[in-house]
Amino acid sequence: MMKQSGFPYVVPMLLLSVAFFATPLAVLVGFSFTGNGGMTLDHYARFFGDAFNFRVLVNTARLGIETVIGTTLLGIPIALLYWHGGRNLRQILIFLTLIPMLTSNVVRTFAWIVILGRQGPISEALMAMGITGMPVSLMFTELGLVMAMCQIDLPLIILPLIAILSRTPYQLTEAAQVSGAGPWRILVTVLLPLMLPGLLAGWILVFASTSSSFVTQAVIGGARNVYVPQLIYREVGTLFDWPLASAIAVVLLLSTGCLLVALTMISRHRRLVGHA
Amino acid sequence: MKDVEISRRRFGYLMAGVAASTMLPFPLRAASAATGGSAVAATFPGNWEDAYRNVLTPVLKKQGFDLTIAPAMAQDQLAKIMASPGNPPYDTLLMSPGQMTIAVENDLIQKIDPSRLKNWSLLDPSFQGVYGPTVTVEVNGIAYNPDLVPRPKGYRDLFENPAYKGLVSWTGFASNTAVMAYTEIAKIYGKGPADMAAVFKLFKEHPEQLKGVVDSTNHQMTLFQQGEIAVFMCSTSNVARLKSLGLNAEFVHPETGSPAAPVNIHLTKGSKNLDAAYAYMDAAISQSAQQQLEQPPTEMFPTNKNVALTPAISAYVTREQLKTLVYPDWAEINKNRDDWIRQFDTLVAG
Repeated sequence: MMKQSGFPYVVPMLLLSVAFFATPLAVLVGFSFTGNGGMTLDHYARFFGDAFNFRVLVNTARLGIETVIGTTLLGIPIALLYWHGGRNLRQILIFLTLIPMLTSNVVRTFAWIVILGRQGPISEALMAMGITGMPVSLMFTELGLVMAMCQIDLPLIILPLIAILSRTPYQLTEAAQVSGAGPWRILVTVLLPLMLPGLLAGWILVFASTSSSFVTQAVIGGARNVYVPQLIYREVGTLFDWPLASAIAVVLLLSTGCLLVALTMISRHRRLVGHA
Repeated sequence: MKDVEISRRRFGYLMAGVAASTMLPFPLRAASAATGGSAVAATFPGNWEDAYRNVLTPVLKKQGFDLTIAPAMAQDQLAKIMASPGNPPYDTLLMSPGQMTIAVENDLIQKIDPSRLKNWSLLDPSFQGVYGPTVTVEVNGIAYNPDLVPRPKGYRDLFENPAYKGLVSWTGFASNTAVMAYTEIAKIYGKGPADMAAVFKLFKEHPEQLKGVVDSTNHQMTLFQQGEIAVFMCSTSNVARLKSLGLNAEFVHPETGSPAAPVNIHLTKGSKNLDAAYAYMDAAISQSAQQQLEQPPTEMFPTNKNVALTPAISAYVTREQLKTLVYPDWAEINKNRDDWIRQFDTLVAG
């Protein structure tokens, strides 16, 4: 019997992607080159010509990287705990991971206002431990923002790691132990290479989510910590300069895209693949 | 357990069924729509949105119209109607003269026909704009928390009295409330209301003031609730809202004068629901609606002559005092605003 082609089943998805993703993206890119006298690179020149804009771009990339590091340090132990745990512990961990995702990003952001505030638990704890004699507010600081972003984006790295570890036989660690490897060595030479695809997926998701998280950046970062989404919002909503806003959006898209390509290339590195 | 098997054809039927069911709400909604049509009215988020939805929607429903209250700041309303000329997302807009000037320049709003408003004659002539009625006058000043700071006399106090150090919050020039405060500060420290160089210099000399700069008055309300800030630039209705939440908040008229801004409803150019839009405008300036809207937690100043001021509103401002308030030159502000926004944002970001 001739094998039936699966293409017709892909057509609706292709049409949807073209209509609702590729076309708006093309319009956005086209708009970023639109000037009074036809096509122009003027908006990109304006963006990169202003040191402030460049600093905002660097701030956004730094925030993304800091959050990726934070979520990685928190996510790996939780994923390993899931892997080691029994059925009940796994259910509890999945529940605790998914529940925050079911609440709005806005709600979680406003909860962090309370946590990071002058009268919040962090300030109270620091005073109770005698580290500071007066209330401390982490609002409008990059540290406070990174803490909030780590909690908000943590599920994005835990879930891919859990997916990878679920397919990993537990006997691998036992084999490594029998061969004389200690816990750290097992983690570094056996588990981390195996977890790498999940880590890469998580890093991409966390970086993209953090660098475009307008509400959290605006509310917790305040106006002193300016990131690219706020810049785009300002150009569109306040200054009505859409071509420049489109150019900024394209720059954000390209910078995230570059990171994605770099991570993909790393994940295909022969030595890493060899390890895994 | 028996495995569930599904053929491609059945899967296709299933998907078609799902697609059809997702389309079902549209005809149902059309069938249940009000007989007189519907209007989408842009309203400021928060206090305004709640009040207009609760007070005006039932009034229009009785007349056979559907009213959708869509929350958006005035500047966002402009951005959205500029984004879709000819097919505006709102039938009416709510804005102050600053944004109205831009809307007129860009041909986004149209002159209204007063004969379609039964309550038009009940407005003072100064509230009968050719582009729409004034529904209230926002009186601006300083909000403060008496538990945390002493009562400020005016703007100068906030910069020169150490009691306020680190407890004052400001917003950028995109906010009308902020821009009115900055023009007043420019009068105090500079050569006149447009001398923003003096204001920027003042902020540079007081870097502690820059720490509390946030994006909007709504954020400030949240921070005020949490005790993160003790002072911010506000309207009387902001303070009324905070008081309604049980917070200790007071309003101060700055010693140099209170800036004020009329708030108007405008008819969007290209609105396809004129009957419903006019019904909404008329309801907003009616005696019964304005009597409800001048009560806490909104405490909006009534522009309908037949509505007596409540003691709470009279404490802020009387009808006679309206003329003595400071009305900024919005044409001058709009000329410089983009530049001020960029300069201030750069200054704040350090």
